Amino acid sequence: MIRIEDLTHVYPGGRRQSPRTAVSDLTLHVPDGRFTILSGPNGSGKSTLFRILCGLARPSRGRVLIGGRDLLADPASARALMGVVFQSPAVDKHLSVQENLMIHGALYGLKGSAFRARLDEALAWTDLTGRLGDRVDTLSGGLARQVELAKCLLTRPRLLLLDEPTTGLDPASRRSFLSALTRLRRERGMTVLMTSHIFSEAEDVDSVAIMAEGRLLAYDTPQALRARLSGDVLVIDSPEPDTLAARLRDDMGLGAIRHGDELRVDEFPSGIDAVVLLERVLAGYRDLVRGITVKQPALEDVFIHVTAEARAARRVGAPESQETAA
Amino acid sequence: MTVAGKAHTPHASETGAAVSRSDDGAVPEAAGAALWSVGAALARREFTRFIRQPHRVIGSIGQPLIFWLLLGAGLTPSFNAPGLEGMTYLEYFYPGVLMMLILFASVFASITIIEDRDQGFLQGVLVAPVPRLGIVLGKVGGASMVALFQTAILLAAAPFVGMTVGLGGAVLLAVTLVLISLGFTGLGFLFAWGMKSTAGFHAIMMVIMMPMWVLSGAFFPIEGVPGWLHGIMMVNPVTHAMTILRAPFYADPMTLFAQGGYLLSFAVVLVWVVGCLILAALRVSRRDKGVVSAG
Repeated sequence: MIRIEDLTHVYPGGRRQSPRTAVSDLTLHVPDGRFTILSGPNGSGKSTLFRILCGLARPSRGRVLIGGRDLLADPASARALMGVVFQSPAVDKHLSVQENLMIHGALYGLKGSAFRARLDEALAWTDLTGRLGDRVDTLSGGLARQVELAKCLLTRPRLLLLDEPTTGLDPASRRSFLSALTRLRRERGMTVLMTSHIFSEAEDVDSVAIMAEGRLLAYDTPQALRARLSGDVLVIDSPEPDTLAARLRDDMGLGAIRHGDELRVDEFPSGIDAVVLLERVLAGYRDLVRGITVKQPALEDVFIHVTAEARAARRVGAPESQETAA
Repeated sequence: MTVAGKAHTPHASETGAAVSRSDDGAVPEAAGAALWSVGAALARREFTRFIRQPHRVIGSIGQPLIFWLLLGAGLTPSFNAPGLEGMTYLEYFYPGVLMMLILFASVFASITIIEDRDQGFLQGVLVAPVPRLGIVLGKVGGASMVALFQTAILLAAAPFVGMTVGLGGAVLLAVTLVLISLGFTGLGFLFAWGMKSTAGFHAIMMVIMMPMWVLSGAFFPIEGVPGWLHGIMMVNPVTHAMTILRAPFYADPMTLFAQGGYLLSFAVVLVWVVGCLILAALRVSRRDKGVVSAG
């Protein structure tokens, strides 16, 4: 459904800024009917990638095919295949739900009886029935999001692109929004690509793509990603994480990842597992430990591992990349 | 579409079947709408929003009306322009106020472009498979509808200052008003598209449009001004808009179409409108482009 090939996007520099590479040499294929989550830390380039995918920005280089149609050469035909839900709501708050849907329908050439048939169908996916005449600014945050979903579904897209659609929703609304997406994928065979950094959302999807600094670091099923961390993860909450990390490295040859105030160890020397290590850390560095846990790796742990690895790799390669930049 | 994929993988054929089975139209997917229906839908939205904000309606009509009555009443005793003997300032200023009304309405209507971008509505329109000119026509057309609605109210005052038009004149007047409001909203669109703040836009428009209005003959006659000012007024497109707006009140259409000066002014306004619409459509279809290298 989506084929991204060697995509690079460089933002032009300003008077005080040098040009900034947001996406670099990214290749990603999303097959038909997959629910994919695109994740990455802030500034990883996922928003830029999203803007390119929905046709709002033109990349510096590379190719994007949506359902076999060239998004860059023929944007209108590629746009006809997709529905987009943006992070900031693309609805007119002064108009009613129905008026918003009608405008959207008109943009896609739907009116009269064809529109009404599609309207009922789209509303069936939401809890908006009975609220059609209400102005959008009187709806709750969760329902307002559903207006956007209904808008997209009117046009029967084959691809649904969503940019952090659950931001600002309470857990119940978030769950019902996500379950609608999952059902859409299952029952309609719709391809769904959603950006998110809430990892609990990603556990049940078909695949997860992790981006950092404009590059694709990992793209796999959640199961396969979790399997990248072979064993458990040891998480140490420390008052002085840097000191503890240095001592673990010098005394035991352990590479710990710093994440906020935490130190994480997810790769262990042979013959030692997380529990053994926990005992050794407690015995040796009691004063540097506030709390210590052994846990099963979740997607979030994989994410921290993969992005830390990328940072480390960049630090090693730093002098070289400075040379090429200069 | 993925015809090849459909044949190979069971999943894709499922999607294909779902699409063709459930569609009621000839096209198996949502095709983009035609230029005019896109424009009409967006323009209707513009007008609905306007009507739902009564203070906007009152303000935009009240301001020029008060301006006209006070200035007209105050300046009538001292108004004695050469060649315009016997005309009250209230009458002279009337078409100028119509022009001002259109100007203000257009400026305020163009501000909604910045609001739409800010609040997110615009991005939903931009990702739709619609001709970019349709987006421009929707905005400019809607803004013009708003402006025309306001001028229609003020037009009802024309007979009270002794200005009457025949049927032909009324039609010509209507066409003229549509053209002028398209011109101003088109101009507003061009400025508003790239701007991020409504306050900044307002300031820029006042700096550019107010002088254009003042120097159009709306406020004082072009005859008898110093030569340098006359030159500026003649290249000001609003002067030509003023000429064709004033004319139907004083001559019937057939007489006007025989006058070279009138036709010239009409042509200038036409070029202005078409030029703005084309430039605006080009502006909208330009997507942010990444630069080629980081070096």
